[in-house]
Amino acid sequence: MTATPTQVPDEAGDEVLTLNNVEVIYDRIALAIKGVSVQVPRGGMIALLGANGAGKSTMLKAVSGLLAAERGLVTRGEVCFMGEDIGGLAPQRRVKMGIVQVLEGRRVFEHLTPDENLVAASAIHGSRHDMARNRDMVYTYFPRLRERRAAAAGYLSGGEQQMLAIGRALMTQPKLLMLDEPSLGLAPFLVAEIFDIVRRINREEGLSVLLVEQNAVAALEVVSHGYLMDNGRIVMHDSAEAMKKNPDIQQFYLGGAEGRNFHDIKHYSRRKRWLS
Amino acid sequence: MDLTYLLELSVNGALAGLMYSLVAMGIVLIYKSSSVPNLAQGSLVMLGAYIVLAFSNGLGAPMWMAIPLAMAFMFFAGMGIERLALRRLAGRPIVMILMMTLGLDIFLRAGAMTIWGGSGRPMRIGISDDPLFLGPLLLNRAYVVGAAVTLVLFAVFVLFFRTRRGVVLRAISDDYMASWSVGISVERGVALSWALASVVATTAGVLWGSIQSVDQSLSTLLLKGITVGVLGGLDSLGGAILAGILLGVLESVASGYLDKLLGGGSRDLVVAAVLILTIMIRPHGLFGRHDIERI
Repeated sequence: MTATPTQVPDEAGDEVLTLNNVEVIYDRIALAIKGVSVQVPRGGMIALLGANGAGKSTMLKAVSGLLAAERGLVTRGEVCFMGEDIGGLAPQRRVKMGIVQVLEGRRVFEHLTPDENLVAASAIHGSRHDMARNRDMVYTYFPRLRERRAAAAGYLSGGEQQMLAIGRALMTQPKLLMLDEPSLGLAPFLVAEIFDIVRRINREEGLSVLLVEQNAVAALEVVSHGYLMDNGRIVMHDSAEAMKKNPDIQQFYLGGAEGRNFHDIKHYSRRKRWLS
Repeated sequence: MDLTYLLELSVNGALAGLMYSLVAMGIVLIYKSSSVPNLAQGSLVMLGAYIVLAFSNGLGAPMWMAIPLAMAFMFFAGMGIERLALRRLAGRPIVMILMMTLGLDIFLRAGAMTIWGGSGRPMRIGISDDPLFLGPLLLNRAYVVGAAVTLVLFAVFVLFFRTRRGVVLRAISDDYMASWSVGISVERGVALSWALASVVATTAGVLWGSIQSVDQSLSTLLLKGITVGVLGGLDSLGGAILAGILLGVLESVASGYLDKLLGGGSRDLVVAAVLILTIMIRPHGLFGRHDIERI
């Protein structure tokens, strides 16, 4: 297989996020990611693909600082945000610097209204003026939320909750938006709608986006580059176009395995080792 | 058994019930901000009362000064409790947190016994013992004051939970992880809720202390407080008020009639029955939130 990142332009010095050889261990014993290096260019939109349990969420939490709450620890390597090592910082310090993670499964504040969800997330920035402006921005990108601003968020549809989760993250005025499986459990047309909005935000607000997805088809449509993670390692890094054409990616993540049954795929996967 | 007697029992019961609401309010404050049911709230009531006495009798401050001083002291004491005892448990199973609050309750009662002994001390806040006449009804003046204070605090907290800080506290109670993810300082929010609950407890300690004198038995107000809290729904301030009135009336009327037949003790039977039936029939209480299940 060819995993050499040939078409990736050299963006040295202009990364908003750099992970360098990062290793994460849970509960002092379970090795979750091993020597991961990932770069997100300033203003770019990058996908991190991979199957369930590949270590994608762990990597995001290593960046957002939420690992500690799950007794995980970065034991090796460094996580740099805008050139600064953020390894030891508490989650709210990182949010203040401009890193925000939208958690897998949406996790809106169910008993609060969408409006209150947005207000709660604006706590990190003091001014009332900023809050009103950010909230207007969120409602402009997600007009549906404005219509439902007074209902308990727990009663919104899955798509609306995902929009709210993204909107809530935007209230923190991030420079880097990390989305963890936003397509989970949503109808394809909704996934397309939400990804389009995220793409617009990325372009119009100059916000860097790191999109973590199992749904490679949808993700590769909107990002410029992608990383593929398997079993805690990065096994491929290439442009979105190249990844879409890659036979291995097609085989496993783009549904190119039609006609084969699951057993065959598993067998194939066992024969075929990514990189090492 | 005339109507006036029933009415008098009901009104005095409702007033006393509102003072149970005051104890429940502290429990609700903490639950609403961190989803922790605080079993030490009764001991905080007792501690608040002792602290007021320490400032007034011990240091010689006049009552109008001793009460705010004690409130300030308890504000920081509440924060300290959160910092030392509860912070390390954030995100742990609720059983462990519950046991921690029970441990705190035992610790505070034992500590108070060591420092202040077991004898009752009077709390004089200048409410006269003369009954208040409302038409043909005789009302207990201390209850009237207590009920009024409760309603004022209720209004204050309802408004508070609509402010930005209040919304943040409710968000924390909904989901710790999501709160961290958007930069909310969960630890500070929970500490604030303990501080506020301790101030409310001090108020309750003063009012109840003035009625029954200050001793260990103040901590048993927990039983009334938790019953009212559960009946109203542990995260509902309005529920705590209504449930307090309901429990107060039930208790007062039942004991007014039943005690003669049973020879006393029906008060606590009513409280127990209400708590048990609520848990059996409507575990999230009259107005409590239940976890939203979408179809």
